[in-house]
Amino acid sequence: MRILLAGAVLGWLAVFVPARADTALEYAVKAAYLPKFVPFITWPDAAFASPTQPVTICVLGNDPFGAKLEESASAARSGERAIAVRRLTAPDPNAVCQLLFLSGDAAIAEGTLDAMKGKPVVTVTDSGLKAHGVISFLIEANHVRFDIDDAAAAQDGLVISSKLLGLAHAVKQRGQP
Amino acid sequence: MRRRGWSPSVIGALVAAAILLAVGVLMAVYQEQLYSSQQIKSVREQAQILAASAAAAILFDDHVAAQEYVHALEVNPELLGAAVYGGDGRMMAGFARGTRLPALMTVAGTGSGNGYIDVAVPAGQNGARAGMVLLRATAEAPERRYARYFGLILLVTMGALVIAVLSFAQAQLARRAQELVEVNNRLHQEMDERHKTEEALRQSHKMEAIGQLSGGIAHDFNNLIMIVKGNLRLLKRKMPDATAGTGYITAADEALDRAAHLTQRILAFSRRQPLSPQRVNLSTLAQGLAELIRHSVGEQVEISLRLNGTWSTLCDINQMENVILNLAINARDAMPGGGRLTVETRDMTFSAPPPEVENFAPGDYAALLMSDTGTGMPDEVRRRAVDPFFTTKPQGKGTGLGLSMTFGFVRQSGGHLVIESVPGKGTTMIILMPRDKGTT
Repeated sequence: MRILLAGAVLGWLAVFVPARADTALEYAVKAAYLPKFVPFITWPDAAFASPTQPVTICVLGNDPFGAKLEESASAARSGERAIAVRRLTAPDPNAVCQLLFLSGDAAIAEGTLDAMKGKPVVTVTDSGLKAHGVISFLIEANHVRFDIDDAAAAQDGLVISSKLLGLAHAVKQRGQP
Repeated sequence: MRRRGWSPSVIGALVAAAILLAVGVLMAVYQEQLYSSQQIKSVREQAQILAASAAAAILFDDHVAAQEYVHALEVNPELLGAAVYGGDGRMMAGFARGTRLPALMTVAGTGSGNGYIDVAVPAGQNGARAGMVLLRATAEAPERRYARYFGLILLVTMGALVIAVLSFAQAQLARRAQELVEVNNRLHQEMDERHKTEEALRQSHKMEAIGQLSGGIAHDFNNLIMIVKGNLRLLKRKMPDATAGTGYITAADEALDRAAHLTQRILAFSRRQPLSPQRVNLSTLAQGLAELIRHSVGEQVEISLRLNGTWSTLCDINQMENVILNLAINARDAMPGGGRLTVETRDMTFSAPPPEVENFAPGDYAALLMSDTGTGMPDEVRRRAVDPFFTTKPQGKGTGLGLSMTFGFVRQSGGHLVIESVPGKGTTMIILMPRDKGTT
């Protein structure tokens, strides 16, 4: 409990400090954000094998987070589920992921996004990528923000809480083309 | 009879008032607690709504969104302040009206201060802990609350006082009514006594009148009987030997004897019969009569003698013997199934007249008491027992003159006849004869 609290406080301190252009700080914020998305997202039942199966955050390609992602993931929970982190070196259609972070190579990212269409996986694209997943990071006024494509989420069978939508920089509403 | 102090109804009213007051105070306290617990509940609900809606803003450290959520609560005038705290416990957003909210908040709970209550709840989403939300609501100041309840207490007290005054008045009324009832009862009692006295007087006058009337008639009638008897005797002398006529004459003569006897009894009642008083001791007289009484009453009646009287009196001995026998036969008739007859003599000294006895001179009396264990008499029969021709015996069994003759003889001899009777228990006839202190 104490460790959990300390982790949370550490995470908050990282978030509280305004994100500067400093890359390390930027990715520390993103590492903190990724597990925090999880409680606001509802996956279809088919996405999990059991009610207590952890939510797996997969990171494809080069890993900009280092140990920061594990730190924030270990401090976070979503209901009965813990949050696990998995790193993929190459696109793997058989890998069990509920949230997939894409950064680096644009071609791989686009290909993966296409492959994930219709699957209950929340794709998160890094800022700087042209292709956008369900959630896409962006930098605005030195702050890390995110857009949400709720329409894509609806196609994938995902439900994103309006509380999260309310915080997004821009939202592509579901039901719109 | 006038009672001092508090009557039970007044005490009851005061107790009721005190209970009313206590219940009122208890209810006020209960209401107060209910009110404050409900207020805390309502504030907590608002805090939980804010915590739920602001969870994402807290998690993602969005101060602007957090401020918007907090701002939405400013329309509630009950809230003195509201604030959202991040995961590190520092305030992210908030507003305060005339109060200072703590800058750091990490522990959930409820607190209160001067005129406000604080409710802090954790914020989070789906089990993920984000931070804290604090709401500060106005609480009514104690003075204002007490003022609110003071009115109520005043009303209840007034009500209690009214009840007390009313029941006091009621108690006084009841006391007056009670006194009136007592006075009325006394009046009725006096009226009854007066009525009885008048009745007795009337009775005495009646007896006197009947006595004089019947005495006069009997006297003259007796003379006429004597003339008829004399003439019958002359007639008998004129008729020699046993002719058929002598039988008629004898029958007529016997009938005249019976008529003479009847007039004797009437005269005895009217106290006009010639008496030859002698000095006599009632105990000796009764002792001598014991055997005769025993024969008269039969075997079914047990006789006991208690002859303790020593004083002598003056009376006609024959008549007195008649009286005693008469009373014994009356007693036997009152005990058809057998019983006990007690003949008793006593020396009695009276300083005041016995009840229902008139013209009584206090002093020494030789008493003869004749008690039976028979049927007794109700009061109205007992009062009329000495009236001439009054009888409860069946037609033909009694003339109704026995007791009136006794009464007449006793009165003529200066004595008194007292009758005591209890229906179902028995009767005691008491003859009181004045003591004779003569030397022989």
